[in-house]
Amino acid sequence: MTDRNDQRGTWADRPVGKILLGSAFPALLVVAWWLGIRSGTAVIPSFSAVIGVLAHPLEIPPDLYSRSLAFSLMMTLIRLALGFGLGVATAVPLGFLAGKSRVVDRLFYPLVQIARPINPVVLLPLVTVLFGLSSLASVAFGPVDAWKYDVADQVQLAMVFILWWGAFFPVFLSTVHGVRSVRTSYLETMRLLGATDVQILRRVVLPHSLPEIAHGMRIAMGMCWLVLIAAEIFPGTRSGIGYMLCTACKTSDYQYTFAAMIVIGITGLLIDVAFARFERNAGHWQALER
Amino acid sequence: MPLEDLIPQLTDTAYSLKDVEKAFLSRGGTAVKALDGVTFEGPEGMITCIVGPTGSGKTTVLRIVSGLERADRGTATINGKDPATLVRKIGYLTQRHTLFPWMRVCENIALPLEVKGVPPEDARSQVAGICARLGLAGSGDLYPHELSGGMQQRAALGRLLASESWYWLMDEPFTALDERTRHQLQHLLIDLVRERKLSVLFVTHSIDEAVYLADRVVVLSAGPGRVAESFDNLLARPRNRLSQEYGQVMERIRTRIESVLGEEE
Repeated sequence: MTDRNDQRGTWADRPVGKILLGSAFPALLVVAWWLGIRSGTAVIPSFSAVIGVLAHPLEIPPDLYSRSLAFSLMMTLIRLALGFGLGVATAVPLGFLAGKSRVVDRLFYPLVQIARPINPVVLLPLVTVLFGLSSLASVAFGPVDAWKYDVADQVQLAMVFILWWGAFFPVFLSTVHGVRSVRTSYLETMRLLGATDVQILRRVVLPHSLPEIAHGMRIAMGMCWLVLIAAEIFPGTRSGIGYMLCTACKTSDYQYTFAAMIVIGITGLLIDVAFARFERNAGHWQALER
Repeated sequence: MPLEDLIPQLTDTAYSLKDVEKAFLSRGGTAVKALDGVTFEGPEGMITCIVGPTGSGKTTVLRIVSGLERADRGTATINGKDPATLVRKIGYLTQRHTLFPWMRVCENIALPLEVKGVPPEDARSQVAGICARLGLAGSGDLYPHELSGGMQQRAALGRLLASESWYWLMDEPFTALDERTRHQLQHLLIDLVRERKLSVLFVTHSIDEAVYLADRVVVLSAGPGRVAESFDNLLARPRNRLSQEYGQVMERIRTRIESVLGEEE
């Protein structure tokens, strides 16, 4: 096996090389798609039909009980941002506490290890029973007036909860590990300088843990993306890219299924690229540590 | 702030250790003695070098004097006070992991000022002065890993200068550097000690470094550490390594130290 470091400076690390290598398998998929079209099977739509859907993202699909492609994607991203954001917002402070305090760590450890392996998608029926069809709008404005707030009414609490579940554990565990890995000598230096606990947290513990937290966030985002697309297929959902994919399958409008799959894939890729960059930037200084 | 809080009391002794004992628990749960009744004094405004073989407890001495570790028995004081009470008066420098790698050099140097709440404008001008003094001008915006080892240690010295600490505890800070850089930094340290009236406790493996830097040499025996010998190094400054007098005195002291170390073997 070739060591990854040996690849530095080779064509594989240049932008053109990256694009060529990265597009090899997607190109194979397109070839497979083309072969599928030539075979004449009904479930493989033509290139032109799918491109037609992608080229008109604001158009409401005729004969399909779904909103436009752009609205569906927006709803998915809003749910994702809310669930993931809540997950990070709770996991990071609790991770800091557990990383610093043995009492908090021992309090959380069994719960985290029991809950972590449970795939959040399998929780959805149970969570739907608990939360019902409550949405952000029904909580904020009451169930009677909820329908007036279209977007907020389609952000179901059950879905936000399972996204929170998907995001919380990877971020929590990486935060705990990040906090624990802070070198004692750095903390001692700050103490000798007379720094307060807040200064130590802000100037040492947080920046030292940030690469680990960023890594946890990247894993969590991948998990949330998977969970969300699966969750949008469940009954009670009225929008979202997963919902569009599923509905189009039921009505045999496969051009929408394919368009949704392409949007899911490309959006997932862009999100991962953004988080990979965040992770790299957060850990730019680690060359010295190695 | 009263003047006496800013300037160290003019007593002869900066560092005082009396019968200091320290043991650590091994993985098996047995106590391993690191220091066994260490007693010595380090003079005010001068450099005291601690030399000794590996495992003699040199670093443990520094950690106890800094207040980062507590002695099991005996007392360690700085200027007659408990080190734990001397917040911001003690500067600590080690061989590795001295700078915060996620901060630029200027941020590292400015950190003590930031902690003290010095306004950013004042801090910037102080840092610029320190960088100029230490030959770091133009390096302030770099990250530590973009500097050579020698420049990193200069930046670490810069942070000590910014902290305005009086008592510098240095744990083999120049060991990993090449000879030329090490000599430059030794020279710089001597200048800083004279300029700022610093009291330095300096741990080193190198007899040459101890002879070149020290006003007083403390030789520790092999572990558990005890003071095998303590003597004043009266070589005139500036010390020229190439002069005949320097060579003779160095050889005499080297023989003295090596005989002490040889007894342990």
